[in-house]
Amino acid sequence: MRTALDNGHLRPWGRTGAAVVGVAALVFLAVCVLPAAYMIAASLSGNPSDIARTYQTLLLDGRQRDLLLNTTALGLCTAIGATVVGVPLGFGLARASGRRTQLRRLALAAPLALPPYVVALAWVYVGGAAGLVAQTIGHDVLSGWTYSLAGAAGVLILVSYPLSMLATEAAVRRVDARLEEAALLVAPPRQVLARITLPLVGPSIGAAALLVFVLAVSDFGVPALLGVRVFTTEVFTAFAALYDFGRATVLTLPLLALAALVATAAIALVGDRLLVGRRLSSVVPSIAWGRRTTLGGMLDIAVLMVALVVPLLVLGYEATRTGPPAALADSGAPIVTSLILASLGATCIVAVGAWLGYARARTGRRAGRLADILFVVTFAVPSTVVGIGLIGLWNRPGLLGTLYGTDGMILVAYLARFVPVAALILAASVRQVPASHEEAAAVAGARWLRTVTRIVAPQVTLGLIAAWVVAFVLCFGELGATLLVAPPGESTLPVRIYTLVANAPASHLAALALLQSGVVLAPLVLLGLLRVRWTPR
Amino acid sequence: MDAALNAPLVQLVDLTKRFNARAVIHGLSLEIQTGEAVAVVGPSGCGKTTLLRLIAGLDVPDRGEIRLAGRLVSTARRSVVPPYQRGIGFVFQDLALWPHLTIRESLEFVLQSQRVPKADWRDRVGRVISLVRIDRLADRRPHELSGGEQQRAALARALVSQPPLLLLDEPLSSLDPDLRVALRAELTGLTRALGVTMIHVTHDRDDAAALADRVVSLRDGRIAGDRAQRPAATSSDR
Repeated sequence: MRTALDNGHLRPWGRTGAAVVGVAALVFLAVCVLPAAYMIAASLSGNPSDIARTYQTLLLDGRQRDLLLNTTALGLCTAIGATVVGVPLGFGLARASGRRTQLRRLALAAPLALPPYVVALAWVYVGGAAGLVAQTIGHDVLSGWTYSLAGAAGVLILVSYPLSMLATEAAVRRVDARLEEAALLVAPPRQVLARITLPLVGPSIGAAALLVFVLAVSDFGVPALLGVRVFTTEVFTAFAALYDFGRATVLTLPLLALAALVATAAIALVGDRLLVGRRLSSVVPSIAWGRRTTLGGMLDIAVLMVALVVPLLVLGYEATRTGPPAALADSGAPIVTSLILASLGATCIVAVGAWLGYARARTGRRAGRLADILFVVTFAVPSTVVGIGLIGLWNRPGLLGTLYGTDGMILVAYLARFVPVAALILAASVRQVPASHEEAAAVAGARWLRTVTRIVAPQVTLGLIAAWVVAFVLCFGELGATLLVAPPGESTLPVRIYTLVANAPASHLAALALLQSGVVLAPLVLLGLLRVRWTPR
Repeated sequence: MDAALNAPLVQLVDLTKRFNARAVIHGLSLEIQTGEAVAVVGPSGCGKTTLLRLIAGLDVPDRGEIRLAGRLVSTARRSVVPPYQRGIGFVFQDLALWPHLTIRESLEFVLQSQRVPKADWRDRVGRVISLVRIDRLADRRPHELSGGEQQRAALARALVSQPPLLLLDEPLSSLDPDLRVALRAELTGLTRALGVTMIHVTHDRDDAAALADRVVSLRDGRIAGDRAQRPAATSSDR
């Protein structure tokens, strides 16, 4: 039953709550929203005729149109591919239960945690001009594909299909089993799937596809590594190589518009279901879609091989084939810096995201929907755009300038990119706690802060841990913004890998990429095992 | 062939169903003749709903067998005939109306799935919605209907394929008392007029008394009582 608190009619936050949530909201606005807003404002400032000329170039120039075409094609191919792979896997997971399913889900979702450029690097070692395939058959047949838009889309599909898979699974689990059973009484399973189940889960699958599209067009590492010209790489080149801030600024606009449009459409499709973190239907139709476990198992294995096992094995092979990797000793400082910054970043992100998530969960439907749009759109802002926006805002004399040029800027970049993700994860967690629990505490005389720390927080411990782990993984793999804001002489592991791509031995790079994969996969495995352990048999 | 014609419409033989090692239905045997209206009563958790799900083929028994009109449809851990070929109409306790389809679309989905010629759809849909008195609501979606109207829509969906057997899982339990009494009377009239065999699960003695010719009591998955209230309707009565 919905309560006044659920409906947003009652907000017993008091002054303390308003202050805490207010500070978190200010941090969010300053760090996440302002860089994008600054880029838009910067593109509109200056001489009106110059602005008009710039926009004319942006809209009419053939080179820009190619760029737009490439970017859109990359997004579309990735979204379609991720949906084609992820949807059957999601159905398979939704139709199973028990601890083995949890482990299956964990394994199949793991590629989502891998930094996309690490997977791209692994596939370069397989299909590049001097890759394993070329070495084995004696001549190069694959590099044309590897270094192409199709190759970039392929890599992005491998790291983003879990989004589609998880969204499909959640949507199928939300479908009341009775609806399918009622149809199974009159129609064969394939017809039930086509007419009842798919229309009900369609919006969620569509929303996931849109999000994958946004993330694909926002990615910088994969197209940069595979030499594919898209907006993100062009923005980076304009800023970092040509020092043309104006061009970089204008180039961000189509990306921002695309991200905002598609993210808004995704939210419109799923609505409040974005924050549903647990199955609503407790019943799985007992006769399901026949028991095609063999086919499902084969699909699981095939996807896992291509998306996880082969890339890691290839990196391992490349890292060790010329003897023990020396790269780790050379890159000790970036590794330690990355670990420290990612840990600090994740902690700060959760500290801000927790209050935003709480506020979102306890906000009325309309304001909540707006908050969702804001979170998703800010998360969709491409990393290079965030980086340039932060430079424009912070690289100036005075108080702001004291932070610029220090590692603190990398932390700010992490916050700018990943606070919205933590807020969404934690909003979903808080929504699982009935508002009546807080109302009961309030009636009993507990103040807001005490209620939140003693009643709500203990019930969302797993959500807090999950948000921290996800934030850590994302921070540890962040490249586009870090590359731009990192102070001279300082480097994180992803930046080190990116800068070594052109001029370091493969074994060196592969060792670093493998290490990076290990660091992001280890906490996820631990988190997954923790969840499995806490799940009742 | 003759044996099949003379066989009971529903025949349950030594049926057992376990969930997590707990037997919900325990060695149950029961025969229901064509045209009978049977109420299955008993306390919560006694296996009433499981019994309906086994007959419908939504669950398979762990032991025993189920025959419909003499035809073996389920045997131990195996569904021999899929649910959609058993000729069953089912009204679920929560109605399970498909939210994305209008009532007309739902009924047409049933007819299409049952391979009824398209030329007959209009007539069949028209007749059934008129029968349950939702003619003017046919183009609405479930959330646009009141509780009683949704109940009628669920009944229309169960009846539109003209199944010989109608299974009702506490269909009146969520209604307020007045509506419940009114719908109970309508349901009785309808099933008698159509001559459909009905198994009605309920924990309400009044529902059982009003709707059934025969009342079967379940306790702990076993039959604790089986008594006729009045003679079953025969084809000559209709």
